[in-house]
Amino acid sequence: MSTSTSADLAVVVTGMTKSFGPTRALDGAGLTLRRGTVHALLGGNGSGKSTAIKVLAGVHPGDAGHLVVNGREADVAGWSAADAAEAGLRFVHQDLGLFEQLSIAENVALAAGYPTRVGRSVRWKELRAHVAELLERFEIDARPEQPVGSLRPAQRTMVAIARALQDRDDGEAVLVLDEPTATLPAHESEALLAAIRRRADLGQTVMMVSHRMQEVLAVADDFTVFLDGRSVAHLVGGTDAGAPTEAELVAHMTGRAFDGEAGRERVAVPQQAGEAALVVDDLHGGPLRGVSLSAWPGEIVGVAGLVGSGRSALLTTIFGVHRPSGGVLRVLGREQTGREDVKARMRQGVAYVSEDRVGESAFANLSLRENLSASVLRSFWGWRGMATTAERRSAEELVVSHAVKAGSVDHDFATLSGGNQQKAVVGRWLRRTPRLLLLDEPTQGVDVMSRVDIYATVRAAAADGCTVLVASSDFFELSTLCDRVVVLRDGVVDSELTGDELTPDHLTAATQSSVLTAGDAR
Amino acid sequence: MSTSVTSSRGAGTADAAAGSGTPESPGTAPTTGGRAGRAGRPRRGHDLRGLAEKNALLVLLLGVVVFFSVLPASSERFATSENLAVILGTQATVALLALAVVLPLVSGYFDFSLGANAAASGVLAAGLMSKEDMSLAVACVVCLVFGSLVGLFNGVLVTRFGLNSFVTTLGVATLLGGLIQWYTGGQTILVGISPALVDFGSINVYGVPAVVYVVLLVALVLWYVLTHTPYGRSLYAIGANPRAAKLVGIRTERYVTASFVLAGAVAALVGILQLARTGSATADSGNSLLFPALAAAFLGATAVRPGFFNVVGTLIGVLFVSITVSGLTVASAAAWVSPVFNGAALLAAVGLSTYLGRARGRAS
Repeated sequence: MSTSTSADLAVVVTGMTKSFGPTRALDGAGLTLRRGTVHALLGGNGSGKSTAIKVLAGVHPGDAGHLVVNGREADVAGWSAADAAEAGLRFVHQDLGLFEQLSIAENVALAAGYPTRVGRSVRWKELRAHVAELLERFEIDARPEQPVGSLRPAQRTMVAIARALQDRDDGEAVLVLDEPTATLPAHESEALLAAIRRRADLGQTVMMVSHRMQEVLAVADDFTVFLDGRSVAHLVGGTDAGAPTEAELVAHMTGRAFDGEAGRERVAVPQQAGEAALVVDDLHGGPLRGVSLSAWPGEIVGVAGLVGSGRSALLTTIFGVHRPSGGVLRVLGREQTGREDVKARMRQGVAYVSEDRVGESAFANLSLRENLSASVLRSFWGWRGMATTAERRSAEELVVSHAVKAGSVDHDFATLSGGNQQKAVVGRWLRRTPRLLLLDEPTQGVDVMSRVDIYATVRAAAADGCTVLVASSDFFELSTLCDRVVVLRDGVVDSELTGDELTPDHLTAATQSSVLTAGDAR
Repeated sequence: MSTSVTSSRGAGTADAAAGSGTPESPGTAPTTGGRAGRAGRPRRGHDLRGLAEKNALLVLLLGVVVFFSVLPASSERFATSENLAVILGTQATVALLALAVVLPLVSGYFDFSLGANAAASGVLAAGLMSKEDMSLAVACVVCLVFGSLVGLFNGVLVTRFGLNSFVTTLGVATLLGGLIQWYTGGQTILVGISPALVDFGSINVYGVPAVVYVVLLVALVLWYVLTHTPYGRSLYAIGANPRAAKLVGIRTERYVTASFVLAGAVAALVGILQLARTGSATADSGNSLLFPALAAAFLGATAVRPGFFNVVGTLIGVLFVSITVSGLTVASAAAWVSPVFNGAALLAAVGLSTYLGRARGRAS
């Protein structure tokens, strides 16, 4: 398989190794792309997929390895972005890098340069003709002067692809797509995949990363599965006999033979006595398309799901940031009208920690003290004004009880490290002794020691009867912290994991695959 | 090629560091506990710099006072109680307008219509008394309501409809300027203005013009509101991070709108005081008041609580500019010196507060 001289192999990578400090992201990974095929690169979080793409693109220099692109041999260690471009590798990232308010023609020209006459004035006619030809060739039903923002999502992705390939559409170019369908609704991704398939049938070599197993199976010829930085499986399809099954791929991704029974929807049993603290029934709104779940006092319930599954939207809707468009929401025994805002939900005993600490939690230029008391300002107010002495004392107590490392509570919040900021944000909410705590990616970008502190804090709150909902993409976090985990897919609860099933591997399987969930997804 | 490798290598390591989580910096001071106590806080160096930062403008102000008191050209007439009364009396309206300007600025919004709002309120008060024969009290109330409504209009446009505050309030200012022209017909309103009001504008109490006490009273109220109520603290939180403010339950749209309304009411009071001082209402757009007020607000943001617009700093800012200008006038400096000084002081203030890295003024 590693005979690199064969003319029908567009890319052959062997022994690709890359370390970040002590972490080995890639450990001798290999990859072989046959010309004119769609190749799927699969793997769980942290399996090394993204690193491999970045090394191929020349964004990260690799440590060791050998690669052959269109017959050109090179060492991975010296591979640069310029080399990648010259060899014919073209990358389209999840963020397409399009300017929505500008026309398709301008978007194309901003990448390739405007055709100009003497005096640097733009030859618009020539540009439009070129772009019209490009749109024709890539079967995009749009006019060059149309703004990109007016296109359907799948068309936008195709424009990005056309732009990437405009100068190199000679069959030598290799198109690399990083999760092209991650943020697209189902029918849009179908349209996009069909278009990609047609390009491949015309001789285009495509490599794509995707988490949506069924799409991958529908469109890809070959499969490479990464696990812990190694390529653990290379499956050549093409013929009916060679096409792998979903269960097979998931087994490779988790590194063990897959038990078909595991991951099946089950009702969790422990500690669900009395009235539920949170009842969500058929909740709609934004990406939510009928979520139903309940949580009882003292429970820590995880929410897993891919990007766009409605993980974060579920939390923000419960907190009152977004209004639901339909469904029932009962918080702490009270039926919600759906019109309550954040303040109203806070009064009812709900607290929420956003996944975006810098953008949505931190008052960077205010002091740590002011950040801590932002959620309880009114409690320090009397006729003599704000009781700053009491406020400072209580801030100092919180700093101790939440193990926040800070020089003084009067220093700017921005001077704290990320982990300490997050502990302070959690403290800001727990001082209200909430009955329902919503955490979105509570330990994102948080160091190991702070993570342990935050877990301890959350467990202590749950032990006091607080209901905790944790949305996270970190399966290890979900399996260690939660009593049970619901898996969202396309805005509905797809499955639920408890007890022995609650492991990172099962979570990977449950979020990545759909054949494993029996019956209706609700 | 080699350069691109080096630069991307740097990016790689940075990514890796971020990915593995930021380890605790060994340089951070140990946890502050209740037991560590306020006395034991290790912040001497930090404190000295902060102290200098906080009081720089005040020291500068005292320096200016001393300078003009000893300068032979001005020493005789500068440091007299008469001159002080003149300065305070003429600057009272600027000071009050500067306080109005500060309110929306705290949460990051400009209101350029406050000068025109003040001018329109003054004209309206004069007109109501001279043309409609309204009593002073009724005219004042109508004016305050008018000023508040203009603020409400601005606030709703800026928060509910998300319009840019800079452009919106500039538009409202222009519009008000036009309405003033229409209402007065370009004429100065001289007759029919309540003598009680004009008297109030000219009397001194304990050697200080009476209007100054009004300014001090309003300043005291606004200082309390901004620093000692949950509302004021919320406005600063909105200025620091509007999205985070919303997520801690602050009703940001309502709060910001309220700050525009409050500022509008204060601007209306400025118009009434201006009328009291001059005894007449001219068809003026009010911009001659607004610019020194803005300058004072930005100067004030470098003092007392550096990086944040605040009441006390703003008052110091007004005094700094007006005392310097007075000194220059008394020393018979040429007419162009004052505006040049004002402009330079404003540029220095904005530069300084940006340099401190914490300029509130989100030019939205």
